[in-house]
Amino acid sequence: MAETETTQPKVAVRRKLQAGPLSRGDKWFFRGISAAANFAFVLVGLILTFLLIQAWPVLQAQGFGFIFGSTWKAEDGAKVVMQLGPMLWGSILIAITGIVLATPMAISFAYLIVFLLPKRIAKIATTLIDLLAALPSVVIGLWGLYVFTPVALHWAAILNRSLGWFPLFHVKDPSRPLTDSPFLAGWIVAVMIVPIITSVTREIFSQLDQGLINGALALGGSRFSVLRRVIIPNSAPGILGGILLGLGRAIGETVAILYVLQLSFNINWYSILEPRGGAVASWILARFGEASPAEFKGLMAAGLVLFVITLIVNSLANLIVNRSKANR
Amino acid sequence: MSVRPRVQPWAAGAFGLRIQTLISIVIPVVITALLVVSSKLDISLAVIACYFPLQLLTAALVGWRNFKRRGVKDSILLVVASFLSILVLGLLFSVLFSVIGKGFETLTPHFVYQNNIYVDNNTPLEYGGVGHAILGTLLIVLLTTVVAVPLGIAMAIYLTTSRARHLGLVRTITQALSGLPSVVSGLFILAFMSVAGLERSGVTGAMALFPLMLPTVARVAEESLKLVPADLRQAALALGAPNYRAFFQVVLPAAKSGIVTAVLLGLARVVGETAPLILTTNANNGTNVNVFSGGIASLPTYVYGYLGSGYVTSQARAWGGALVLLILVGVLFGLARIFSRTKSTNSKSKKVK
Repeated sequence: MAETETTQPKVAVRRKLQAGPLSRGDKWFFRGISAAANFAFVLVGLILTFLLIQAWPVLQAQGFGFIFGSTWKAEDGAKVVMQLGPMLWGSILIAITGIVLATPMAISFAYLIVFLLPKRIAKIATTLIDLLAALPSVVIGLWGLYVFTPVALHWAAILNRSLGWFPLFHVKDPSRPLTDSPFLAGWIVAVMIVPIITSVTREIFSQLDQGLINGALALGGSRFSVLRRVIIPNSAPGILGGILLGLGRAIGETVAILYVLQLSFNINWYSILEPRGGAVASWILARFGEASPAEFKGLMAAGLVLFVITLIVNSLANLIVNRSKANR
Repeated sequence: MSVRPRVQPWAAGAFGLRIQTLISIVIPVVITALLVVSSKLDISLAVIACYFPLQLLTAALVGWRNFKRRGVKDSILLVVASFLSILVLGLLFSVLFSVIGKGFETLTPHFVYQNNIYVDNNTPLEYGGVGHAILGTLLIVLLTTVVAVPLGIAMAIYLTTSRARHLGLVRTITQALSGLPSVVSGLFILAFMSVAGLERSGVTGAMALFPLMLPTVARVAEESLKLVPADLRQAALALGAPNYRAFFQVVLPAAKSGIVTAVLLGLARVVGETAPLILTTNANNGTNVNVFSGGIASLPTYVYGYLGSGYVTSQARAWGGALVLLILVGVLFGLARIFSRTKSTNSKSKKVK
């Protein structure tokens, strides 16, 4: 021990290290990548700043009523009142409907791909779902408006007839067609986020330790018990991440659901079949073309609210995900 | 059957189980089919209300007969998972087939290369097309990609190699940014334009797509860089390579296919984005290759323009545009897949030599 301690420094002095922390190339490399990483903060800051500059007069004039109230009168001449409540809740309601519909489908599809199907078919299904994750929202919107709406109306009517006593499926006036409902928009959003959740979940599933699963099977586990005790606990954070990606897209979805929504300022708390409701993003796009300068600032404020909500939801959820990953 | 020696002892009874499974599938199908034929029940309703519960019941019975309680749970799991998966496939194929079927009627050579000047709702489909929109989309997305991909990959490198104290915060912010609603991105650039005094053009459209593409690229690239074993990089460093060479010559080639996927997912995220482009670019019926001034058309805004129109030809144009957009996405995916495959075979053949 003592000998090595005395001889080691001499060797270290004689050798010239090429890749020291002071290598010039490395310095620039690290500077470059840390600048890029910190650009994420800059970007968030810039978005907040520019939206706030535009939205400040409206936020100041409307106060908290902007978020909770439910009147929108922005014509010239009249006293301007801009309150976003129904649209905000509509976005949340549609996103929740979409997530509830999409998550079981996506998880079972990923489960089928990774654990049940033969390798070759699974590969095809994977390619398919990766391709379908890229379906543009405007294409889904087109399909939703002309192809899916008739089918969904049929189902909405059946749901209302058989389960109309349940508040969730209650409709005030069943004789009217059930178009433009959050139910319809929720389905369309679900179609958009299923591929996202599936591809994330599939990746997580296929990265699981195969030895762990084989071990559980060797101990006498059945398919169900392996799923419940091994697969799900080990991949829950990843699945949650996938759902979050979906949620982000669901809340901010604009074009795909614009034409299947009735943007009314009459709040719809939970009756998802009622042809009434809205979404912040769709509202912004719908009003954008004909907005006066004053209303335009109101739309900027709506965008700011949307941004802050998605930022908070995503950050909170990512925190949960990272913590559960650390526990693993 | 009994003559063949059993080399797989665990397969004993597998034949009987297969027969039982077959029966458990056939019975609900037959009952449902009879019901549909006899009472003229709606097919989709019959599948949900009759076939699905029956299938659950028969599968559970087979499970109980062979494996008792755990068999029941397993069969129910299988039935529910397959049912939901078929639902997913049904929805997605419905989208694909309706776009391909309806778009194909519109898709002609001149629809691909002509622009939309002098076209109104009553113009027959022989005139006008999406050539200008294809060009515009390619230009805008290319501009976005050129900036977003290097920056996104640099972010991913930082997230995988740095040991900075605020690393978790950077990751959280990047992840949170990937949930940025596309409308907000458009509004942000719009606000920026009104402060900076910019006119709407192709460049502002590309700027509006940039915040959407960046986090996607960074996220997926980070995932793929994480999969490269740390030993590889450490070995390169131990051989005396500086960090940047260790990255470019060792880590990056190892993560190549993942990086390509990152670029692809980023492209796929923005190529069909409609809302930001509606907010930050002016529509244009003519061809414009100048991204710095003037209105510039893009495929999503073209489709959006005809969405919800009452005219038959306009709807046909929307379906045609949607099909072209779909083909564009498909071609991008195919190209990238072929590209990454040839690259990987090349590196293998080098190794053999």
